Amino acid sequence: MLKILIPTVMLVVTTWNVRAKWLWPATLTHSLLISMLSLTWFAHTSETGWKSLNSYMATDLISTPLLVLSCWLLPIMILASQNHLSQEPANRQRTYISLLISLQIFLILAFSSTEIVLFFLMFEATLIPTLMIITRWGSQAERLNAGTYFLFYTLAGSLPLLVSILYIQTCAGTTSLLILHYAPALPMTSFADKLLWAGCLLAFLVKMPLYGIHLWLPKAHVEAPIAGSMVLAAVLLKLGGYGMMRIMVILEPLTKELCYPFIILALWGVIMTGSICLRQTDLKSLIAYSSVGHMGLVAAAILIQTPWSFTGALILMIAHGLTSSALFCLANTNYERTHSRTMLLARGLQAIFPLMASWWFLASLANLALPPLPNLMGELMIVTSLFNWSWFTLLLTGAGTLITAGYSLYMFLMTQRGPLPVHILGLEPSHSREHLLLTLHLLPLLLLIMKPELIWGWAI
Amino acid sequence: SLLCHFIFSSPYPYCIISIIFIQLHLVLCFYLENQLSEMKKKAVDALPGSSWSPVLINPNLPPERADIVIVGGGVIGWSIAYWLKQKERVRGGLRVIVVERDPTYSRASTVLSAGGIRQQFSLLENIHLSLASADFMRNINDHLFVLKEDPVDLQFNHSGYMFLANEQVAHIMEENYRTQRSAGAEVSLLSPTQVKEKFPWINTDGVALASYGLENEGWFDPWSLLNAFRRKAVSMGVVQCCGEVTGFKYKTNVVNSVDGEQMFIRRIQSVKVQMPNSLEYQPVECAIVVNAAGAFSGKLAEMLGIGSSPEDSIAGIPLPVEPRKRYIYVVHCPDGPGLDTPFLIDYSGVYFRREGLGGNYITGTSPEEDEEPDTSNLDVDHEFFVDKVWPSLAHRVPAFEKLKVTSAWAGFYDYNTFDQNGIIGVHPLINNMYFATGFSGHGLQQSPAVGRGVAELILDGNFRTLDLSGLSFRRILTQEPMLERNIV
Repeated sequence: MLKILIPTVMLVVTTWNVRAKWLWPATLTHSLLISMLSLTWFAHTSETGWKSLNSYMATDLISTPLLVLSCWLLPIMILASQNHLSQEPANRQRTYISLLISLQIFLILAFSSTEIVLFFLMFEATLIPTLMIITRWGSQAERLNAGTYFLFYTLAGSLPLLVSILYIQTCAGTTSLLILHYAPALPMTSFADKLLWAGCLLAFLVKMPLYGIHLWLPKAHVEAPIAGSMVLAAVLLKLGGYGMMRIMVILEPLTKELCYPFIILALWGVIMTGSICLRQTDLKSLIAYSSVGHMGLVAAAILIQTPWSFTGALILMIAHGLTSSALFCLANTNYERTHSRTMLLARGLQAIFPLMASWWFLASLANLALPPLPNLMGELMIVTSLFNWSWFTLLLTGAGTLITAGYSLYMFLMTQRGPLPVHILGLEPSHSREHLLLTLHLLPLLLLIMKPELIWGWAI
Repeated sequence: SLLCHFIFSSPYPYCIISIIFIQLHLVLCFYLENQLSEMKKKAVDALPGSSWSPVLINPNLPPERADIVIVGGGVIGWSIAYWLKQKERVRGGLRVIVVERDPTYSRASTVLSAGGIRQQFSLLENIHLSLASADFMRNINDHLFVLKEDPVDLQFNHSGYMFLANEQVAHIMEENYRTQRSAGAEVSLLSPTQVKEKFPWINTDGVALASYGLENEGWFDPWSLLNAFRRKAVSMGVVQCCGEVTGFKYKTNVVNSVDGEQMFIRRIQSVKVQMPNSLEYQPVECAIVVNAAGAFSGKLAEMLGIGSSPEDSIAGIPLPVEPRKRYIYVVHCPDGPGLDTPFLIDYSGVYFRREGLGGNYITGTSPEEDEEPDTSNLDVDHEFFVDKVWPSLAHRVPAFEKLKVTSAWAGFYDYNTFDQNGIIGVHPLINNMYFATGFSGHGLQQSPAVGRGVAELILDGNFRTLDLSGLSFRRILTQEPMLERNIV
């Protein structure tokens, strides 16, 4: 654990001390090395239990994929931000990279924490660098509104969580996950316990986001700069999912009855956000709403708590993280050239950027859960386990999958095919940096087809 | 609610009294509430600087980002804005702003125009544009009606145009007539005797042939059309900005052409909009800029370096649009031609049309090439009327020998010095600037169709309803003018 954390902390020092000319190559290389080191976490000697254990941090089969994803994301974020930050003065670039690295540190600590209190602290701590990135480096006046929504939605959900954690501490005597999973069940009979259940889960549901409380997500994603959008879509949403997975264990037996409204909201959200995507004109907004839809499936899966559903949720989280981040990078390549996120104004791009069109194609196919990609594996396991739980859900998940395919194709056809407007002809050609960026997104996704055991969690 | 429950449980007569009591109670409360809020408002207004905010932002500044910036708030600019919004598939799909530096329109060509519309051109593109625009304007309330506002009334007088030709140019008129008929314009040719029969007040001396428009021709109120477009576009979400474009921020790419010539292709990244009477400016980041600045389009193009390179390269070709001053004189003649007077254009270049129902007429003529008036101001030269307009006018219409000039004004043509026809399309060296300018006096009448064409070009990639590719910048690069035969 320390072999990852200490280099990441020292990366901040590197950022501030390296010469301006070598800032981006140095940070990129070092973060890539750290992510290579993080791959050692995959070597699980046993199928259960915790690994890399010390008093406060450990990895197990659920947290390892998310940890590796967060470590993988830092070099990609640095690669993606290089272009739009190149005009800023060096110190501001260093600040930006330091914010990204601090996010990384908080995320590693969050996913590897064994204490729920530490997890909560890191959960909240990730808000601060993200807020700074959105409000300072976002491109429009609406970013202040977006930052406010982002901050207050999450904080309002987290306050009950804090109270609940403190109650668990007094009631069970510990907040360590290592112990709580084996502790006797808490007495959950009164109305106050139902509030405890809601308090524990609300923060994570807001973060996922659940459909009814998802309003912060389109705003935050659209107004954030590219690295902000990437980290939000890829990892920060998964914090919610991971937190839910951890805390569900102690919330039995209330979940059996209390989960109904949230499952319904989540599944309805899949259809509603899918329909909204079909009507979107802003490219980033479309990708943001698609994130809400996918995460709705994950939320519903976690709430029914079966082994297959947990596996499906975990796979979908990893696959969606990579896919959504790739789509945001593609949208950013468009934005950097035309300075507009409107899809109507950047059409027929296949004719001028053929290789970028093939990345668009792969990413859109991944978004609509094409076999044999892990996106399909996750979605299929979730749909199957939901069907087992109640056959009505098949109507919602089936319709949701259909609409997802619809808007993914719509996005691809709108941007790549169609008549090429005259003003598009003079766009500057794709940079190899952009091709590298997308390769680094899609290659892990393709490799995971071969060995999905890495991200299965405990199932099978 | 407890009170209500209590009251309604008591017997019938007491019910009525209690209901009245409750009404009074409520009315009193509301009255008191209103009084209180009024007093609060008065107190807040009385305090000095009550709308102070620590972050003072000029509310008149345009937004920091827009998708399409239209420079020029004349009828062409607003027409393009309307059609762009009409063609976005989803409300709010496009962010369009129109930048106009003079909201009083004191120097804009649109409102100073004579307002005529005709299909009697010799170029097919011009005829189709005017026909489509006339159709638009006849059904204007199908397009530009805004809910809860008055319907649009263009005061479209369908009196038609009449061109008079002498012996030398009669054959041109005949060829034009055939072109116009084949394009669908309702035009008729009249002999001098027919003209005399129809309009006895004309002196047909020297006239060999006359071409009279029967349908879709006449004149209308340009201010109404401009406002109709503006009102509808604003209701659809176009942002109106009062400011002047003083510069651009662009990125330059060096490209080697097939002939080995080095060209600088520019891409506009943002438009610098300066507030009126102030040094404050806002850079508006945008994807596309539309140059609909009319008579001042040439200056705008110069800001991008068009025309500032050596002569023999593509970059050296300037946008050939410059302002040309034209005078319009309002005359009063009590015994003048009747109410069915068409917009008459003589072969000498003099024109007149009826204005209103009180015996007033609008008249003018184009000056000679070498006698172009000074364009630094909009002052009217009354000597011009006496020397150039009145003699031919009185010769053609004897009743006009006795008239009185009641008023006059001057306006600019966005004169295309190359071939006096509009330029619609992209510039080869600036990737995202579209031009819709240079119409040289017939921009107003073609504005609805031009707006639709430019919107199709931007959003669909190509023209859909009317093919206006003949009016693109290409003809200026290849130096092949598309001249009208017989213009005014």
